[in-house]
Amino acid sequence: MKVTRRDLLVWSAGAAAGLLVTPVPWKLLDDTSIWSQNWPWIPQPARGPVEVKLSACTLCPNGCGMKVKMAAGWPVGVAGVRSHPVSKGALCPLGFGAHQLNWHPQRLRVARHGASPSTWNEARTAFVKACSEGPVVVIDGYPGRAASSLLQTFAQKHGGSYRAVLGSETRALASYETWSGVSASALGYDLENAQTIVSFGAPLLDGWGTPGRFTRLWAECAAGKTDPQLRLIQVESPLSRTAARAWQWVPVRAGTEAAVAAGVARVLLEERLVSARGPMPPLTLSEAAAQAGLPTDAIRELARTVVARTPTVAIANDDNPAIAALNVVLGSVGARAGIVRRSKRAEPYVSADAAIPNARTVLIDASVPWGFTPQTDAEVFRFAAWDGGSNRPDWLLPAPGFLEELTDVPTAPTSAVETYAVAPSLVKAQHEVQSAAQFLGSTDPTLSTAEKIIHSRCEDLFHGRAGTLLGQEETPLAKLASAQKLEEQLWKGAVWVGEEPHPASLRCELKEWPTAVPSAHAESWSTAWPAPVLPPLATKLYRESTLREAPEKRTA
Amino acid sequence: MSRNTLVFGFGLAVALVAGWVAFPRLLYVQKQQPLEFRHKTHAEKSGVANCNECHAVREDGSFAGIPAMEKCAGCHSERIGESKAEATLVNNFIKPGHETPWLVYARQPANVWFSHAIHVKRAGMACTECHSTYGESDQLHTYQVNRISGYSRDIWGHSMSRLRRAPHEGMKMSDCEDCHRRHNVEVGCLGCHE
Repeated sequence: MKVTRRDLLVWSAGAAAGLLVTPVPWKLLDDTSIWSQNWPWIPQPARGPVEVKLSACTLCPNGCGMKVKMAAGWPVGVAGVRSHPVSKGALCPLGFGAHQLNWHPQRLRVARHGASPSTWNEARTAFVKACSEGPVVVIDGYPGRAASSLLQTFAQKHGGSYRAVLGSETRALASYETWSGVSASALGYDLENAQTIVSFGAPLLDGWGTPGRFTRLWAECAAGKTDPQLRLIQVESPLSRTAARAWQWVPVRAGTEAAVAAGVARVLLEERLVSARGPMPPLTLSEAAAQAGLPTDAIRELARTVVARTPTVAIANDDNPAIAALNVVLGSVGARAGIVRRSKRAEPYVSADAAIPNARTVLIDASVPWGFTPQTDAEVFRFAAWDGGSNRPDWLLPAPGFLEELTDVPTAPTSAVETYAVAPSLVKAQHEVQSAAQFLGSTDPTLSTAEKIIHSRCEDLFHGRAGTLLGQEETPLAKLASAQKLEEQLWKGAVWVGEEPHPASLRCELKEWPTAVPSAHAESWSTAWPAPVLPPLATKLYRESTLREAPEKRTA
Repeated sequence: MSRNTLVFGFGLAVALVAGWVAFPRLLYVQKQQPLEFRHKTHAEKSGVANCNECHAVREDGSFAGIPAMEKCAGCHSERIGESKAEATLVNNFIKPGHETPWLVYARQPANVWFSHAIHVKRAGMACTECHSTYGESDQLHTYQVNRISGYSRDIWGHSMSRLRRAPHEGMKMSDCEDCHRRHNVEVGCLGCHE
């Protein structure tokens, strides 16, 4: 039998039809898709025992509780800790991908002097020489840590100064510090007991303070309700995500929040809507309304709404004395559901200005955001885990990345209660890295170490016998057997929570309405947010969710 | 019957045989486990009554998986039998302190996170719901590795068509989804993929 070309074609057609009803095409498609995930150049986490360690996020001062999944000793996943007293199980997109950051292409791996690679010894020699020639200014972006204490001690010992770059949430409390003498770092917002919150541009539902705190509170008390138990009034120019989800949005002209606060305070005082006494703002209602671009009736109505359901607290996006004064008029300072003093221990920090005159050396800790650009002739030693790109310092020194360094986690800036946690070093750095505190310790052996300071802080906490330890279970500190036990638990991821604040321990006397203009720091939070680097997971979350819209899309 | 029909049918038959018989044999290659292990013997002779005596969920909620060498060394620090496997275990692994390089039937890609703790402790599922009566088996079944993906055949399941398979067969994402749908449990992407 002769096989013809037609036979071959027909046979092929039959074979093709037959293949379609076999697993071949579908299985090959499935297998090749899996095979493509495992190409040799795609990084894979090491195979090994998987365990979960409790820790705290150290990427910003909010110190959210974190569960870190470790495979063969390497972090491969991060999740929130639901029982955490402040973050309540939530993390920001950056925190969710924090374990990826240590492998980021912009990770700093070697010391750099100007544009050239250098060594730690050269950096140390240059730093010691510079310190011997003139004053040193040490700048910290996350004050209150054990490492901060070392930076502070070094500056004092060498006749220099220690300054802190404070976040907008802490700066918003600066006026209370001026009026009460209590450090802003000891103040917080008792949001959980508030019935009405008036936010003057603070992105409460979009990354303000500890990410999970207000969003969870909002979800529990207010989301989707027409007359919620908790009313959020957003006074802001653009229809931000917070404004869009708030109970009421009051669109005002950008930068006129102080005028609106003054107008509201005037109505409250004139119509005797509040029992607390406060100074009358010099601005008339019509002037305030004209500045804000609102009818006078709108401000009057806003004032009545603000006190319709009390207690009420006003929150500013940055240092704004008029909004702080509104809180004084509302009687919300040193009151339940208002601004409370959570700690008696905290000390005030000198805020770092960009202009640093009369310094020979400036040392910048890795916690200082890249947006902080010192204007100085001094020799700048900047520590950073990731290269932020612009404002090239004289010395750029690689700092430990995510969970590569032992650190303690003091209270989050907006928290109403004091907390303390420890984030142990879970990962060994792949390159020679040093934190600013370790670097200073290597130049001055008389300095203590972060570990010793954490140890002594644990002893102090234990001897205070106040508060509760939240770990696997809730244990009052008074029932703990020893300071060592407390320290052990903190190293395993437990969090110490202080006692509820006593509102009366904060008093603000205000004789006249503040005329100071809002802080020059004031900036749009939406443009200030971007981190120098983003992990792939955060980028994916950013792109694929509506967590944050691009700033240009968020104008009203 | 015309010649064309015959030729077409022949092509169809060759493809069917190749697809259903030859293809699986080509796709999967059999590998030997480093040791013979008998669950049944351990249950009967050593008094290991529960799976979690060896395959424990740790305090932090993570699953220990295959027990580490130190667990085996608890009983097998010296030879306690005459079998070849016993000699291999003690001489090649326990005494030098090497972990046994088991071929893991359930090994998943690195981007998959499965929590035994949630399924066993929160959902109250018995081990046998997914693992059948594997704990009573007298020998480990043959490990077949997929030449292309590099994973065990147990992930896809032994039936190439994936039809009429038992509930414990298959560990593909669709199997997870089917079970979650049956139990009306919703899990977002990040629940399993981190």
